[in-house]
Amino acid sequence: MGEPSAAGIRIRLFAGLQEQAGWAERQWTADALVEATLTPRQLWQTLQLPGELNSVRVAINQQFAAADTPLLPGDELAFLPPISGG
Amino acid sequence: MSWLSYLRSAVADAEGLQLKIDLHLEAFEPLACLEQWQRQLAASGPSTNASAAESVFIGRVRAAAADGTPLLALELEHYPGMTERQLQQLATGCCARHGVGSCLVQHRIGRVLPGEAIVLVAIGADRRGPAQRCCQELLEALKHDAPFWKREWRRDGTGEWLTSNTPL
Repeated sequence: MGEPSAAGIRIRLFAGLQEQAGWAERQWTADALVEATLTPRQLWQTLQLPGELNSVRVAINQQFAAADTPLLPGDELAFLPPISGG
Repeated sequence: MSWLSYLRSAVADAEGLQLKIDLHLEAFEPLACLEQWQRQLAASGPSTNASAAESVFIGRVRAAAADGTPLLALELEHYPGMTERQLQQLATGCCARHGVGSCLVQHRIGRVLPGEAIVLVAIGADRRGPAQRCCQELLEALKHDAPFWKREWRRDGTGEWLTSNTPL
């Protein structure tokens, strides 16, 4: 984790997941992206987010995506707890 | 009319679909929205105003929480940007599959009181089948695939995020 960077990855949490984790948004620095392919699943584990990844949905750049989708610098990643609209 | 439109995205696609989607930060009156929508359709030409079949769904907040205790309010959080995009994609896809001519979606965000409208879906088509099927499919889609989250606030001051929708 570090200062916000346009080349980093913006990570966002919502609703109950945000409250359980204790934060709403973080920036994954570009330096950390030098390493091999990074995926939402790896970030979920690295950030030690609460609960099981299969209980949430992943969105990359505001589109639903698979948890093993490679992330790119500048991406916006969101972990979405169970949806309850309408 | 005392509602505030948070987002306005009225578009007509290449096949002539009339589509309007709004998120409301404050209480909206669904019948007033419908009346305004009808006027807008009428102003856009006789072909779009001539839906022989219309299907309308209005959803309101219950007076009781999921556990049966009195509900003080429902809080609706959303993912700004993605919610609007998803609603647009879900509506255009559903309308195309059913071949309907017009679609109105109004959805609340923020703090919603018991009895207040939370969602309005109105579909216009040439026949009742497509209108009703599209209305139901779109409603289910936005309940499960548009990033909204509900939190129930009880009168004792406690709140709890809902992790599922009510049964169909």
